[in-house]
Order: sequence, then structure tokens, then C-alpha cells
Amino acid sequence: MTLTLMLCLLATLVPVFFSRVSAAPFWLGVQAMALGWITLTQHQPLTLHAAFAGVEVLLVRGLLVPQLLRRAIARQAEARVSLMPSNLFAWGIAVALIIFAFKFGDGARADVRALTLGVVASTVVMAFLILATNQHKMAQLVALLFMENALALFESLMPEPWPLPVHLLISTVYVLTIALGSWLVADTTAPPPGLAAAAGDTQ
Amino acid sequence: MIDAARNPADWLLPPDMGLARGRWILPLLLCAALLLWALSVATFVWLPLTQLPLYFAQRYLVLDATSLLFVLVINTVFLGISVYMVSRERHSPELVRDLRVRALWSLLFMLVMNLGIVCNHLILQWALIEVTTACAVLMMVCGHYGAPKAVAWRYMLYSSMTLAISFLGFMCLTQSADLRDVDIHFQLDQLAGALSHEKDPWQRLGLALILFGLGGKLGLAPLYSWLPETYEAAPTSTSALLASVQFNISVVALFRVLQVFQGHESGFVSQELMLMGYASLVVAAIQIMATRNYKRLIAYACISSSGVIALGLSVGQAAAYGVVLYIVSNAFVKSLLFITAGRMHAVYGTNAVAPLAGVIRVLPFAGMLFAGGIFALLGFPPFASFLAEMLILSGIVQAGNLLAFTLMCVMLTIIFVATGRSIFPMLWGAPVQQRAPLKESLLSIIPKLGFVAVLTMLGTFTPHAFTQLLSAVARSIGGT
Repeated sequence: MTLTLMLCLLATLVPVFFSRVSAAPFWLGVQAMALGWITLTQHQPLTLHAAFAGVEVLLVRGLLVPQLLRRAIARQAEARVSLMPSNLFAWGIAVALIIFAFKFGDGARADVRALTLGVVASTVVMAFLILATNQHKMAQLVALLFMENALALFESLMPEPWPLPVHLLISTVYVLTIALGSWLVADTTAPPPGLAAAAGDTQ
Repeated sequence: MIDAARNPADWLLPPDMGLARGRWILPLLLCAALLLWALSVATFVWLPLTQLPLYFAQRYLVLDATSLLFVLVINTVFLGISVYMVSRERHSPELVRDLRVRALWSLLFMLVMNLGIVCNHLILQWALIEVTTACAVLMMVCGHYGAPKAVAWRYMLYSSMTLAISFLGFMCLTQSADLRDVDIHFQLDQLAGALSHEKDPWQRLGLALILFGLGGKLGLAPLYSWLPETYEAAPTSTSALLASVQFNISVVALFRVLQVFQGHESGFVSQELMLMGYASLVVAAIQIMATRNYKRLIAYACISSSGVIALGLSVGQAAAYGVVLYIVSNAFVKSLLFITAGRMHAVYGTNAVAPLAGVIRVLPFAGMLFAGGIFALLGFPPFASFLAEMLILSGIVQAGNLLAFTLMCVMLTIIFVATGRSIFPMLWGAPVQQRAPLKESLLSIIPKLGFVAVLTMLGTFTPHAFTQLLSAVARSIGGT
């Protein structure tokens, strides 16, 4: 589990420090694969519930959503934008936040639990950092997806996986975020002039 | 995936489809609203409070005083908004397609809302609030004011952020329980058992984050900036649904947290709510002084209402009944104001205050009802908000917090003067341009009159059964 958690962490940090928006789907996919692996291996023996949850994470978070994001990014000029501004100041803050995030997990009794908390916390703070430093909407969407993956990783801290309705609804929220988000941030033409001018009667 | 070039609405009602083909949608909305309302009223009338709580669906759903009250309120408000939408369909042919699409999303929104309110699982409720946000986004983009997609994106971003903050709070609670070797489940009726009575930094941090996140959803400072923009840019019926219905699911979530934490960290909860409440009142007072846009003014008034609610909740005990009454009354006030504002916007084509000077001469009913709504908003008798504000203020005095009392009075006075300075000339001032009085259809007036009637009834004579329900909810959040 430690290795998969490290992979999850790397999949958050590498794109934030070194990648452009266009690489985000790959890293989100890696993050989700690690997440799915954790879900499948965490509870022994493997129950039907845990197996379903793990497979669902692999399919929805690991394949479907990265693919949707890739398609959305392909149409955007913002694909070449860095996820986080590449300057020493932003890097300094990011490193400080990661250290802080792992301090946050220090209080846990078990090492794996502390590491999980550290990974969740660093993913969340990185997502907030992207939101705070990047005004490009596509980067903000990627930050939201990172944040939701972190929340999904939180499930591994629970003694047993979420009940199925909770699990499915959280995944639905994730899919809705990418579906609606990519549509809202897509470059669009101005509203039809006839409609805007039709009257003030638009409410 | 939703294609960037196509509005999701196009799938529901293709633009080339004749208007006749979708004409069943708004009647369906009205029937559904009537059904939901009738069901909630029937439950309220026939189910004694002593039989509550009732659990359903493997305890994922609960019907207790809190869920019953809010189901009743949101479905009543929704019925009024549905009638308003039907009236708009009849009189604004250019909006028919948008209204129909919005009606379908509204229906989905309301179903999820009802489910969210009766939810007995904190994480499930959290996810349902996220789903209502998605529905609200789809309703918002049906408007054409400004750049609806950009506004909807910012709304979605803020909403996801605030809810993520709340989720971090759940994570801290889990960590707190783990350190004490306690199993934690987020079923509302079991969660309290996993809390510590001792000082626990993880638990406190969790609570702080949950309150902060939910505060953002309620439009409390500092995470309030999404609210004025969203309420102004969204189509009127959507603004009304956001302000009166979605607001209440966040209130329910907040109440659930307070119910779970009763007897734990009460001083801490009180301080955080008080801080956010005052900050919101100050922000609202300053912005109301500056704004010259009536829809935005209503939005800032919503922030000030959230502030009053947070302050009332921070006092607890004696103010609890007042807070519950205030929340119920506010749902109707906001709906009344938004749908009346929609009528005025339809005629004048602007949200600015100045061009509407003397609006009461052109739209006598809408103008009068808007005036009524503003008086209710400002806490005038005989409306319920007057009684509620008095109860909250008296609760604050009883709690011995005279500084809080003074600050609240000062802020409410500033808001009162600033609102009057903008709105009264708009209603009764000299018209910029002479217009003949316009006729208003009975159908468009009925929901507004209904809201005024409910507000007056709650402020003068509240039926005993309803008072009991309000008291039960007040007791559940620590009221006496």
C-alpha cells in the first residue's frame, strides 16, 4: 500500500510542478489506478462490495474521466498552460504546503494511515494552490478533479468502504464535475445576438 | 460527455423542435409541484410529531421534525415558483423553450433536494448537495443575462470548494475517532456516539472546517462572493430556487451538524458562527449601501439574512425558535422578491434601480408586492420576519451578549436605511419615462399573494401544529 500511496502522491506532485494542463488526464488516470488498487487490496479477504468499489474506481476515475478530460482539453488553447506558475515563489509555497500537509498526518498512530492523510492533505492543498494561482479555467477544472480524487482516497481511511449508495453518488459527482465543467469552460461563441437583444425579457 | 458546442438543453428539447411538442412540460412541473406539496402537507397533518423520527431505506432516510419542516417549506415555495413559471410561459413566448428546459432541470433539482433533506447520512447528504449544485448550474445556463456559462462555472467552482472544505472536516472527525479507537459511521443518528467529550484538536478542526464550508454554501462571509453574482445572473426562477430551496438544504446540513455536536464544543461553535455572522452583516451593509441594482440588493440582503441566522445560532437556546422562524419566513420572502423582480425585469429590461423609478405606477401589483417583500425583508410587522428578529434579539439579550446585540442592531439599521434609500425611490419616485400601467395576469399574482399570505400568517397567527413543529426543530438544535 505504501508504494501505491507514493504513486498517488507522485501523480499529484509531478503535474503540479512540471506539467502542462494537457498532461493532466494522464496523471489523473495514474492517481485513479493507484486509488483503485488501494481499494481492491485494502480489505482482505476481498468482499463483493470492495471489489465493486475498486473496479468502479478503475473504470470511472481511471479510464472514463481522464478520457473525457483529454477530449475537452484537445479543443482548448489552454492546453499548453502550466498547471502551476513556474516561478520560485509558487514553488516555495508549494513545498511549504506539502511539508505542512505531512505534518497534518503526523498525529496518526499507524504509518500507513499517516502517509494516507499526508497524501490526501497534500493533494487537497495542491488543488487549492492551483485554484489560487491559476486563472485558466481548464487548470481550475483539473484542480477540482484532483481535489475530488483526494476525497475519494479518504475512503481508504475508513474501516470499511463507503456503503454502495454513498460510493455511487460520490462517483456521480465526479463524473458530473468533468461533464459540466468541461462544457462550462469550453470556448464558446457569444450568445446569438437576436436572443440577447430580444428584449430585457430574459428572466 | 457534454459536447462543448451544444447546450445540454438541446438534448432535452432540440432547437428545431416545434414549441407545441414540449407543451406538456410546464403542466407536468405544476402537477409534480402540487403532488410534492400535497404529500408534504398530508404528512404534516396526519403524522403526529410524537411518532417521529421514522427511518426508511435501511436508515439512509429519516423523517424527523427537521426534515418534515424543511420538506414542507421547500415544496410550498416550489409550488409558488412553478405557478410563476407557468404564468411566464403563457406571457413570454420568446422564453418558452428556455422555461421548459429549466422546468425539467427544476424538477430533477427538487427531487434531489427532497432526498437530501430527508437524508440520514452526512456524506450522502454532502453528495446530494453537490448534485443539486449540478442541477442549479444547468438551470443557470438557461438564462441570457451577461455570461451565464462563466457565472455558472464560478458558482460551481465555489460550491465544490466550499463542499470540499466540509469534506476535509469529515476527514478530521474520522482521524479523531481513529485516535480514540472508536469506529465512526456518518449515519446522523450514530455519529454523536463517535464524538469525544474531551478537548480534541482533530475534532475541533473537523467541526471548524465543516462549519466554514457550510457557511460558504449559505453565503456567509468570507466565502460569500459567489452569491451576489449568481443570484443576479441566474434566471429569476433559478435565483428563487437557489435562495429559497438550495439555501435550505445547506441549513438542514448545518442543523444536522449542530444536532450531532449538541453538548460538544458548544463554545467553539458559538464563536465561529458569531464571527461569520458579524462578518456577513458588515459585508452586506457595505455592499447594500453601494449597490444600485435591485436584484443584487436582494442578493446582499440574503447574505445579511445568513448573518442573522448565524448570529442566532451562535446564541442557541432562547434564540433557536426565532432562528427557525426566521429561516422559514426568509424562504418565502426571497421567493417573493425574486419572482417580483423577474416581472419588473421583464418589463423594464434592466436590473438597475434608476430606470425603474415610479415602478408602482406601471406595475401596481408587482410594485406593491415588491414593497411588501422589502418590508418583510427589513423585518416590519405584521410579517414573520419581525417576530423572528425580535425573538433572536431577545435571545441575544437573554444570553447576556450586549455587545453582540448592539452590533447586530447597528448593522440592521444601516441595512434598513441603505435598502430604503435605493428601493423606495424606485417604487414611489418620479418616473424617468412615462409608461402606461400594465395589466398583470391573475396567474402571475397568485403565487406572490400566496407568499405574502404565508408571511403574514406566520407573523400574526401561526397554527398550533406548525408552532409545535417549529419548537421541535428549535429544541433539536439546542433551543429551550
